[in-house]
Amino acid sequence: MTKKYETETPGYTMTTVMEEAARCLLCHDAPCSAACPAHTDPAKFIRSVRFRNVKGAAETIRENNALGAICARVCPTEKYCELACSRSGIDVPIDIGGIQRYVTDFEQADDMHILHAGDSNGMHIAIIGSGPAGLQAATTLLEKGYSVDIYEKNAKAGGYLTYGIPEYRLPSNIVDYEIKRITDMGANIHFNTIIGKDMTMDQLKAENDAVIVAIGASEAKMLPMFENNDAVETAVSFLARTKQAKGNIDLPDNALVIGGGDVAMDVVTTLKKLGVEHVTDAVYEQFDEFRASKKELAGAEREGVTIIDGYVPDSVNGHTVTLKHRHINSEMTIEADTIILAIGQETNAKNLGIKLEHGEAPSAGYKTHDPKVFITGDIAQGDKTVVYAVQKGKEVAGEIDSILGGNRDDQ
Amino acid sequence: MINKDISIDFLGVHFENPFCLSSSPVDNCYEMCAKAFDEGWGGIVFKTIGPEDFEVDEVSPRFDELTKEATPFVAFKNMEQIAEHPLKQNLADLKKLKENYPDKVVIASIMGPTEKDWEELARLVTEAGADMIEMNLSCPQMTSHAMGSDVGSNPPLVKKYCEAVKRGSDLPMMAKMTPNITDMVPAAKAALAGGADGIATINTVKSIANVDLEKKTALPIVNGKSSVSGLSGKAVKPIALRFIQQLRVASGLEQLPISGIGGIETWEDAVEFILMGSTTLQVTTAVMQYGYRIVEDMKNGLMHYMEEQGVEHLSELVGLANKNIVPAEDLDRDYKMYPEIDWDKCIGCGRCFISCYDGAHQAISWDEKTRRPSIDTSKCVGCHLCALVCPVHAIHPGKIVMKEGRKGDPSKIDVVSQRLY
Ligand SMILES: Cc1cc2nc3c(=O)[nH]c(=O)nc-3n(C[C@H](O)[C@H](O)[C@H](O)COP(=O)(O)OP(=O)(O)OC[C@H]3O[C@@H](n4cnc5c(N)ncnc54)[C@H](O)[C@@H]3O)c2cc1C
Ligand SMILES: Cc1cc2nc3c(=O)[nH]c(=O)nc-3n(C[C@H](O)[C@H](O)[C@H](O)COP(=O)(O)O)c2cc1C
Ligand code: SF4
Ligand code: SF4
Ligand code: SF4
Repeated sequence: MTKKYETETPGYTMTTVMEEAARCLLCHDAPCSAACPAHTDPAKFIRSVRFRNVKGAAETIRENNALGAICARVCPTEKYCELACSRSGIDVPIDIGGIQRYVTDFEQADDMHILHAGDSNGMHIAIIGSGPAGLQAATTLLEKGYSVDIYEKNAKAGGYLTYGIPEYRLPSNIVDYEIKRITDMGANIHFNTIIGKDMTMDQLKAENDAVIVAIGASEAKMLPMFENNDAVETAVSFLARTKQAKGNIDLPDNALVIGGGDVAMDVVTTLKKLGVEHVTDAVYEQFDEFRASKKELAGAEREGVTIIDGYVPDSVNGHTVTLKHRHINSEMTIEADTIILAIGQETNAKNLGIKLEHGEAPSAGYKTHDPKVFITGDIAQGDKTVVYAVQKGKEVAGEIDSILGGNRDDQ
Repeated sequence: MINKDISIDFLGVHFENPFCLSSSPVDNCYEMCAKAFDEGWGGIVFKTIGPEDFEVDEVSPRFDELTKEATPFVAFKNMEQIAEHPLKQNLADLKKLKENYPDKVVIASIMGPTEKDWEELARLVTEAGADMIEMNLSCPQMTSHAMGSDVGSNPPLVKKYCEAVKRGSDLPMMAKMTPNITDMVPAAKAALAGGADGIATINTVKSIANVDLEKKTALPIVNGKSSVSGLSGKAVKPIALRFIQQLRVASGLEQLPISGIGGIETWEDAVEFILMGSTTLQVTTAVMQYGYRIVEDMKNGLMHYMEEQGVEHLSELVGLANKNIVPAEDLDRDYKMYPEIDWDKCIGCGRCFISCYDGAHQAISWDEKTRRPSIDTSKCVGCHLCALVCPVHAIHPGKIVMKEGRKGDPSKIDVVSQRLY
């Protein structure tokens, strides 16, 4: 039953990737590259593929994005590079994510080692959190010669890459592979260590030249009416549990999911792929204002999820939820074995001494009031996506380097 | 990003990389060459410079392309002659290029109708500071028959003009040969006898790429008419490689220094020309289609290839394939190799069946129910047409057997290709 959950869609072959690359118009001042938040430079790596230089393509991706194989799979390209693609003037945008996946798969198969740690500059940086932002910051700092220790509250690294995004979209072996390359470069990850509890912020500050807080929004939000209800689980708890068990979990016959973002789509699609017959998704927004990406929504619909849009939970009694429409006079009651809440995630920055408003830094950039402490990833301002986390990771590393003045010769 | 030394010496001149623009509109003026150098080209062969009094008067439009299915520029046809800019300006451009790019190689391409012109042009470009001279003996669409490929296919004339150039200059010199000739060896030998230090080849191939069905003339149409003129681009690569091979195996020419030209687009094309005996490479059509930027992937891909091959100096690769290309009568004809179908890849399209029936030996039968081919080894001759047409590359080299009555060990037969599909 877990096969559908564990299986990724097939990737390109050399022949088919060339057909796709041949559709690329090789634009001047390419809009796709300008639209990539992490400057992965799709126009350049597609051109390399087109001219049969797949290794060169891998270098372009990797040097700009330490999580290139992950972004290839989970990037909401429809909002970034593919939205900008000139090919849309003819028919449909180039499948940039698919080409990137082909190239990074080739890189892995060929065991290429593109990134290397720089000569040591004697400085130490601590990073709290091993999500994409922390991992990219570590990579960039290692390249510049810093030594890097990452402190992670969980037993595995990756943040939502490991404990969120489902297997069929992002296989764990890809995540493990990308993380291994970063630890091979010299990143030292301390697992099961909560900063603010197991170790203090003061200790990290005393031992390091700078501390980066990259804790993301790793806790689920709750609605008061669902508290202390055995039938209720949060989306991130459900997705983490399912991914860790590779889909081997006890399944309900009938599940009600509340929420309409990408996380909710992941939950309903996962349930369906695992074989749950009745999956109903109650969404606050109506279809024309949906937050989930079109790709994720289409994926959920393909699996046969029942989506009721415009409804909000009004009351709950054990397994029974009453929902009301936001605009019209309509009410429905659903009884479900499991109720999964996908209404957003929040940050827990307890004892870290940083100020956040709604889980985000009050002002743009990566500095905090403490000159030794920086923030990055989802808790910094800007989009909350993996590719943005990568870019924010690069930027915070660059900022720290310009302040600490590490390796001068590689500037 | 990989960084390897891909420099090479050719005719005593050091090239930081072997990639040069060939003489054509892609290096028509100072600004173009400067941009090309900035984007990474190792050298340029400046657009052919003619004598002051030769008037260049071009037609409009002047290009055509051969396509196949959705692929543009399979080949490119042009009706252009030599530099349109005045001689003085061309010389000034050469001078400025050498001043501003002392580490790049600036090659002057020249062409004249008389010995006196050749000698004078050679003297002028030498004074302007060029590193090398290329004699254009090969343009197939000159309006004067005293110039161009009519000259290049006439060995005594080639020799005479080479001598004239050598009188005017002591720079290293290559003669650019025309492919519009059955055998290039006599012309190349004549050039060397006249003092040439190396050969550049090929120039464009005389052609008509398309005929307009309404106007009943070739393309491009110039006020209702057209002309035979030069073809370049990917489709001429096989022609170029064969000439280069035949030069390098001609007796006395085994070490002939060659600048290879014709359809180079990718690093793989470049390596092919090098393995066939080219030391430097020249490109026009791919640059006209895609821009100078293509040199990035050519250089990077070449570095990766050298790394894979464990090669430290590019020169080690020059001509490595020459000895493996032998006359047809010397090939091993004692065995045949059957194709093998990879059933995980086969999608049941039936293209192999059609081609084997209609274009080979009716050795594939087709199961209409399962939509799968099967190969009858009693009829299969091992031509591998089926492998070439299969859209998913499901057909690959299979069992090797000795032909009846022939001796040999099939396991020792070398047929493996590394080509990346
Ligand atoms: C289900 C789901 C699906 C998603 N799908 C996509 C998608 O398809 N595409 C996309 O671009 N984005 C997606 N996102 C968003 C994306 O995952 C995030 O934007 C991204 O992970 C943020 O990276 P980060 O490094 O800031 O934080 P996180 O990935 O949240 O990582 C933070 C890390 O810090 C650790 N941590 C927290 N507090 C402490 C502490 N006190 N001490 C030690 N460690 C601590 C956490 O355990 C975690 O490992 C998805 C998110 C979810 C939840
Ligand atoms: C438009 C055009 C103009 C050319 N002009 C010249 C020229 O002036 N002198 C010359 O030696 N070759 C000239 N050539 C030939 C090229 O230098 C080159 O030998 C040929 O195009 C094959 O290389 P390619 O396939 O990379 O284009 C010209 C080619 C083209 C397409
Ligand atoms: S915008 Fe689209 S067509 Fe243009 S270079 Fe990028 S991927 Fe190719
Ligand atoms: S190798 Fe030739 S003869 Fe044999 S099956 Fe293929 S096409 Fe037919
Ligand atoms: S051409 Fe290839 S895919 Fe098509 S039937 Fe033959 S083996 Fe199968």
